[in-house]
Amino acid sequence: MIIRITSEGQFNLPGAFVDQLNEIDNELVEAVEAADRSGYATLLKKMLDLVRTEGSPLPVDEIVESDLILPEPDLTLEEAQVLFVGEGLIPG
Amino acid sequence: MGMLSRMSTIVKSKMNRILDSAEDPNETLDFAYEKQLEMLRGVKRGVVDMVAAKRRIQQQASTVQANVHRLGEQAGQALNAGREDLARLALQRKQAATIELQGLDEQIAGMELEQEKLTAAEQRLSAKVTAFRTKKEIIKAQYTAAQAQVRIGSALSGLSEEMGDVSLAVERAETKTENLRSRAGAIDELAQLGVLDDFSGSQDPLSKELEAITSAQGVEDELAALKAGLPSAERKQLPGA
Repeated sequence: MIIRITSEGQFNLPGAFVDQLNEIDNELVEAVEAADRSGYATLLKKMLDLVRTEGSPLPVDEIVESDLILPEPDLTLEEAQVLFVGEGLIPG
Repeated sequence: MGMLSRMSTIVKSKMNRILDSAEDPNETLDFAYEKQLEMLRGVKRGVVDMVAAKRRIQQQASTVQANVHRLGEQAGQALNAGREDLARLALQRKQAATIELQGLDEQIAGMELEQEKLTAAEQRLSAKVTAFRTKKEIIKAQYTAAQAQVRIGSALSGLSEEMGDVSLAVERAETKTENLRSRAGAIDELAQLGVLDDFSGSQDPLSKELEAITSAQGVEDELAALKAGLPSAERKQLPGA
């Protein structure tokens, strides 16, 4: 599946990794809710590294839509909190 | 809802505002291409603005840095002249300037990183725009309107996504540039208030007083030297001696 890391580009990640990605995503949401700064940073990096190492970068001149879009690597905890809380999109 | 879906929503919300597909596929293609070029120009402008803001603050920072040093010296002069109040004032200003300078390096470094990212975004978008231009002409030449509509769908959404990503990068860069500008404004004020670089011509009261005491001190020193050179008989007749 095609995954975009915001500000970085697109990767082709084998579908087998999607469960792993979702797991990290859930933990990441918990870390953001708990304002766990180091946990958040570690998990975000883990998530992006998974895509970077297991996926292969898409050629820049290939024009396709991504199946998933991940945040940029330097998204701060505060910015992440705005993404969720600020928009009221955490339905518990 | 996790990061994944949230981020997708955000980038996609950016896309929709950028590209609204037109009725006629040829028109859609040309319009999309125009939009891409427009965005590329925007990214380039963003980089230029950023570099300008960074240069300005770097220059200011080095000026304030030099002034911090001078304020320290002037505090010493004031103390030598027995003006502890002036020495304290100079040191207070020195400290305020030092605090303002702290973290500035960090901010400039962050700015450099942002600039690199924006340049990379520009290159990515540029490559996609070139690829799109080729694709657009092929689609126009080879397909009927109905077929073209289908063909361009995926290319357009892929491209819109790239543009959404780039527009986020531009927004981030603009925010950082704006922050740096307001920081530059604060440093400007500081430079005007506390800096005594123009010792003789400055209207700053601290400068004036310091100037006054240093020149008064100079007169006293010279007078003392003169007195020391005079024969003792004439010396008695000097008033105040």
